[in-house]
Amino acid sequence: MNNRFLINFTPGSTMMHKLTGGTKVLLFVLFTIAIIATFDVRVIAVLSILPIAAIISMKPNYKPIRFMIGFMVLVVGIIGSLMLLLVSPNAGLTNVGGSTVIWRLGENFFVTKETLWYIFAMFVKRLASFMVVIAFVLATTPSEFASGLAFLHVPYKVCTIVSLAYRTIPDIARRYTDIKNSMQMRGVELSKKASLGKRLKATAALLVPLVVSSFGKVEVIANAMDLRGFGRLKKRTWYSEHELTKADKVLRKLCILFTIGIVAYIVWFRVINPWPVTYWSPFIAREDIVKVGRFETLSILKWFGK
Amino acid sequence: MADTVIRFKDFGFQYKVQQKPTLYDINLEIHKGEKVLILGGSGSGKSTLANCINGLIPFSYEGTITGSVEVNGHETKGSSIYKLSKEVGTVLQDSDAQFVGLSVAEDIAFAMENECIPRSQMVPIVEEHAATVGMQDFLKAVPFDLSGGQKQKVGIAGVLGSNVDILIFDEPLAALDPRMGEMAIELIDQLAQDKERTIVIIEHRLEDVLHRRVDRVILMSEGRIVADTTPDEILKGTLLQQYGIREPLYITAMKYAGCSLEGNDGLSSIDNMVFSNESREKLLRFFESQVESHEPHLGEELVAVKDVSFSYDDSRKVLEDVSFTIHKGERIAVVGRNGAGKSTAAKLICGICRPNKGSITIDGKDAKGLSIKEIGERVGYVMQNPNQMIVKDTIKNEVEYALTLRNMPRDQIIARATDALNACSLFPMRNWPVDTVSYGQKKRITVASILVLQPDVIILDEPSAGQDYRSYTEIMKFLDVLNKEYGKTIVFITHDMHLALENTDRAIVFTDGRLLKDDRTFAVLADNDTIEKANLKQTSLYRLAQRLGLEPERVIRHFIDYENYRSREKGNAKDEEFEGKELEDVEAEDSKEGGQA
Repeated sequence: MNNRFLINFTPGSTMMHKLTGGTKVLLFVLFTIAIIATFDVRVIAVLSILPIAAIISMKPNYKPIRFMIGFMVLVVGIIGSLMLLLVSPNAGLTNVGGSTVIWRLGENFFVTKETLWYIFAMFVKRLASFMVVIAFVLATTPSEFASGLAFLHVPYKVCTIVSLAYRTIPDIARRYTDIKNSMQMRGVELSKKASLGKRLKATAALLVPLVVSSFGKVEVIANAMDLRGFGRLKKRTWYSEHELTKADKVLRKLCILFTIGIVAYIVWFRVINPWPVTYWSPFIAREDIVKVGRFETLSILKWFGK
Repeated sequence: MADTVIRFKDFGFQYKVQQKPTLYDINLEIHKGEKVLILGGSGSGKSTLANCINGLIPFSYEGTITGSVEVNGHETKGSSIYKLSKEVGTVLQDSDAQFVGLSVAEDIAFAMENECIPRSQMVPIVEEHAATVGMQDFLKAVPFDLSGGQKQKVGIAGVLGSNVDILIFDEPLAALDPRMGEMAIELIDQLAQDKERTIVIIEHRLEDVLHRRVDRVILMSEGRIVADTTPDEILKGTLLQQYGIREPLYITAMKYAGCSLEGNDGLSSIDNMVFSNESREKLLRFFESQVESHEPHLGEELVAVKDVSFSYDDSRKVLEDVSFTIHKGERIAVVGRNGAGKSTAAKLICGICRPNKGSITIDGKDAKGLSIKEIGERVGYVMQNPNQMIVKDTIKNEVEYALTLRNMPRDQIIARATDALNACSLFPMRNWPVDTVSYGQKKRITVASILVLQPDVIILDEPSAGQDYRSYTEIMKFLDVLNKEYGKTIVFITHDMHLALENTDRAIVFTDGRLLKDDRTFAVLADNDTIEKANLKQTSLYRLAQRLGLEPERVIRHFIDYENYRSREKGNAKDEEFEGKELEDVEAEDSKEGGQA
């Protein structure tokens, strides 16, 4: 199966793989919240240690990971940063609290130290959450994902939809290829020889048989599930949610501490004693921070406004 | 007499969306420990009957019930689908759709999960049931890596999970290759050894089910039970032909030989039957006699595959050094187990895949320089499931689609489409919406929509899958007309040995990516070595030959020659019958049952 990509359906053998779905989903959620909550590069750096260690410990196939990170660096890192510099060169003023110009080209285009820091910090933040996602995807089979969601008290029907989606998407993809091939034989041109509009129209026509044959399946699947008692009780158990390993027990206890830590951090650094601007930076002391509204630094507004 | 576990009394059912009832006056008792076959064509109501037992009716499908049906002494109306699921286990026809878990173990555990059984109790039960069906070594396997037969085994283990004492198998053979089908029947028989268990099999393939003993056969037609008797009795009578059920080949052979079926004991099993002296003599005389043999004449060469190797990725070769040619006017069966490379061979010919090594020539031109679309004008490919091909609303638009795409002048389109519609006997219904016709008719529409391109070769993928004998014969007759009158080359990709035997002259056998044999069909089917290597199944003619002490190849060949001779004799009568089919009433049930395959 070539369209499974990063997802593994069979659990691996490392410590991370052997955790229960519940622990994995819990860690994923907590790390994601933590990374969203903080704008301090130092904290993010500390937070990324664990996901990166987890990825390495799983001895994954690095090829698709490298590809995805490469894609991320290109799109978010390089293209995104250039766009930001173009549209809002003074974003550093709003978000970091200063405007030290280091290079200028005309009135509307300049580079400030603070904007560069802002771009860097934002990229680090995204990269970190990306690492969390990769660690989670590598460690979790779809069924563990479903049972893990159930552990977090997500209604089990929702969880089952998640696992059913993983179950059927590869089938639908294969059916799509079959339909596409047969249509091409009948003369539907899907190669670059046809114009984009024609290709889009032809692809839309392919969806008819795909949807019709998939809907037929839905009824059968629903019957199969009914016939095996799905949906009768308020709760259900999960075969994939196995007994807790030692690591599970330790990690779940740490998760409690982690949760307290996150709450405390949010309450203290974001509510009681918030940093005056979004991002912390190493080169501006708290007293020197200039506070400016978000829209005032958007040069795109200047182009249209004045 | 053992306890009655299922009792239908003056039972009738009408689906909410339909004009007339699907079941009428059903009176039926099934006893504990029985193994019952419910036989009938598409639209006979046999699946509906099964759904009345497992509770899908009335709990999932709405409709009107008359009379009563009791399971284990309780009226099903007063029960619920969940309560019934603890008493009745159903293995659906589509074992792929039935597989809801993401691994074998999870799927077996599914019913227990829903019962909220703690995991610690589930694990040993899952292992036990997996062992019952022989899947204990595949507990972690994912559905995408399993064959149809393995998925079905998991499906069976999954209903055992809830410890049910009634098992319903809805068309267990529909999606399996012959060898796997045989194993499924053996497995069902093994489950039937437990006398606490009642087994109901819904099928239309009588011969394959009779591979193992059944206690009773219930024949259904148009919503009524028309026979409720032993397998031996039903084979003796004329009911099977009357209701469009294919009788076992050896029975047909005995009838051709003029045997009286009465004096033979154990008629339902070719292995255990005791031939009467009269039958034995008549059979021996029949197979000694001479009939004019049918030699296919070979037309010009259309497709040449030469030393072709192919793999989807570098790791595993799907085809290796395969060479064969296809001539004009041939009828060819491409056979072999799933994954043997037969579909890939077809894809290579159609240009969907391109060979890594070797060459394919179509009509003298190297296929390398031809696009899929261009090849499509010479070689037409009809997919297994017509629902995966149909894109337009009416039959006419669907058939014209390929020509409209090529911007052909309107009058030319109409001329060509009319030809194709006529060839497929669809012309009178050309303005019908596509979704009102039966599965068999949809299949004809897809053939017509390929035929408008006037290809020389038509490749059909599993033409018999999901169809009963009647609509299957209809399609075969019509393809035969295309072959004989229009000179089209017909290539079947199939694992249906009956189909290959009766409708093709030549068989190409694949196994593990290699071409194992390329010979006359009867010769291939008489070659035990090939049959075993390719995971095929002997037809019962082979066993008949062995039982009579005759040479199998001779017996099979004689049988085919005799059939050809008969159909030539019938000649015109057959054509008329075929013409008459086209306006046949279409039952919604028909398309529904067929569509699930």
